[in-house]
Amino acid sequence: MISVMFMEDHNMEFFDYLFEDAAPGDLILVYGPPKVGKSIFCYQFLYSSLVGGEPCLYIVADYGSRQLEQRMMEFNWFLRPYIQNGDVYIIDLLTRLAGVKVEDSGTLKFSSVQNLTDLMVKVGVSTRSLFRKSSKFRAILDSLTVIFAFNPPNLVLRLLKAYKARISEARGIGVVVHTTGTVEPSIENSLMELADLKLCFDGEKIQAESSAGEKFVQYTITDKGVKNIRG
Amino acid sequence: MKRTYIPKLDDILGGGIIDNASVMFSAVPGVDYEAFGYQMLNGRLKDGDKGFIFTNVAEPETIVYEFRSYGWDLEKFLQDGQAFFVDGTSPFMGLPSDAKYSIKDYSQVEEAIMEAIEDVPDGIGVINNLSTLIDYLGEDETIDIIKKWNLHGKKYNTSLVYLFTKWDYNSNLIQNLKKSMDCVVEIKTIEERVIIGQGFMVAHSSWSEPSDTMVLFFVVQPGGVKVYIPKILVTGPYNAGKSTFVKKISKKSVSVDRKALSAFPTTIALDIGHLEYKGFVADVFGTPGQERFDLLLDVLGKESVGAFIIVDSTAPQTFARAKEMIRKTKAEAIPKVLVANKQDLPGALSPEEIREKMKVGKDIPIIPAIVTEGRGVTDALEALLGLIYGD
Ligand SMILES: Nc1nc2c(ncn2[C@@H]2O[C@H](COP(=O)(O)OP(=O)(O)O)[C@@H](O)[C@H]2O)c(=O)[nH]1
Ligand SMILES: [Mg+2]
Repeated sequence: MISVMFMEDHNMEFFDYLFEDAAPGDLILVYGPPKVGKSIFCYQFLYSSLVGGEPCLYIVADYGSRQLEQRMMEFNWFLRPYIQNGDVYIIDLLTRLAGVKVEDSGTLKFSSVQNLTDLMVKVGVSTRSLFRKSSKFRAILDSLTVIFAFNPPNLVLRLLKAYKARISEARGIGVVVHTTGTVEPSIENSLMELADLKLCFDGEKIQAESSAGEKFVQYTITDKGVKNIRG
Repeated sequence: MKRTYIPKLDDILGGGIIDNASVMFSAVPGVDYEAFGYQMLNGRLKDGDKGFIFTNVAEPETIVYEFRSYGWDLEKFLQDGQAFFVDGTSPFMGLPSDAKYSIKDYSQVEEAIMEAIEDVPDGIGVINNLSTLIDYLGEDETIDIIKKWNLHGKKYNTSLVYLFTKWDYNSNLIQNLKKSMDCVVEIKTIEERVIIGQGFMVAHSSWSEPSDTMVLFFVVQPGGVKVYIPKILVTGPYNAGKSTFVKKISKKSVSVDRKALSAFPTTIALDIGHLEYKGFVADVFGTPGQERFDLLLDVLGKESVGAFIIVDSTAPQTFARAKEMIRKTKAEAIPKVLVANKQDLPGALSPEEIREKMKVGKDIPIIPAIVTEGRGVTDALEALLGLIYGD
């Protein structure tokens, strides 16, 4: 059954529908080929969460935290105020690698794509703060592609298990983005098994799959982000 | 013997590590423990020993930077040639490496570290990170290689320090790793949700019989690993039995009378004790029950890892106050146990009746006690430790 809804600016109903079967503590896998809007969907998820008063952790693994802000600005989603008042924690895995000397601050932390031990330390620190701040929060990891490129795949799966345990312990909802075809099928299968809810993007529709069943929405990408179209 | 430069660890190990020890720091994911390896290396370098770092987690430059943030000057030792890197990161990231050894393929790791060990006789080598090695090389091969390195370390009188993140490996592998080491230090978090601390404990040492003490620590920049003694709060309404409880639970205790800073000088009596129980060490603070001292509750509550709320089971009229105190001590967020005291007196309510009247959730254990006779005190402590360590 597919419900048809109108999209507000932040697509709240759209999300409500897709995430209907997700409970606090769940891990959601957003996956699909490159350039189908997975990251934009994440920005939107992040922004709608912040607007709705739920704090977030955002792990940027494929680009720097600066770029995150800039990319979101293209959709008129301004992150700065939320960074300043501590509603969003960002862990940046690439800026240091680029040779930029940067210091951690309260809500902006730098780690490295190869140092998964350190990444988990920072995830721990951030989720604890979020847990204290709010009974509900979201954590988004965009994406696994670069992490997979620089680590043995089994180690990345181990990281995800620890990550999932951490988020669910703190009663958050975790979103992890994966680009299909970047790892072996067996690893991809293990990834799918870890997820409580899977959202498959193909450029036209998002297919949601969980133990509660399957459903899909058709979507398009506009300057307001990922929007559903009546199907 | 060589020092570890980790506070408290040398005491527990009986003075330090044997010169050619293999030591593994084994940490659950999420614990900040890299500093353990780096602090040991820094201390040894400062003592004039030679040393190396094998890294597959960060480029040498980043590690130098990290050392600096702890207040340690690794660069100087690198320039003097007293320290060097075995770089297993840069080549994988497509970055140039000017390290003494740089590894382009994992098949070169074994040999590179063998040579590095020979380069630092009587010195120290730090392997960061062992887990990544396992997932590249395979479990059996890693164990074989570690055994060779450790033998080589024995021969050249070199200490080898491994940083190991305990991802979801099978217990067999972990057992085998432990068996390959002279010493294993476990590092864990206590009560994850509202972190109250990280602790280390020596699980095994071939040259001493370490106590099973859990030492709480935090990592600061600058400074490195610092240990601290956690506080346990004892609170509750006036006359409930707090002072008596602090005395009974403590190895030693004192009552401190202090002039309160107020217009009307009154005395604040703080009961302070120190407890040691099954490897757990803590300072115990009994708060005054009167409302005018509530500000103090807030301060003490923030620093505590757990709390005992003492109530007089014959005085239900004080229960509302007890609940208020729980709130004021911020004890909402920390593990706590309710002690239903004075069970010897007629009319004492049972734990169930108290739970009902006070409307406390099942997550808070209520332990019946006669504190004056010392009864229920150990039960209460066991219950609190169970909550803190999550059993
Ligand atoms: N009968 C009985 N009296 C107790 C018990 N525990 C404490 N008391 C008495 O209750 C009074 C108050 O105890 P105290 O520890 O000073 O209470 P505080 O004000 O909470 O520090 C003292 O006279 C204690 O001897 C108990 O289990 N049974
Ligand atoms: Mg007293």
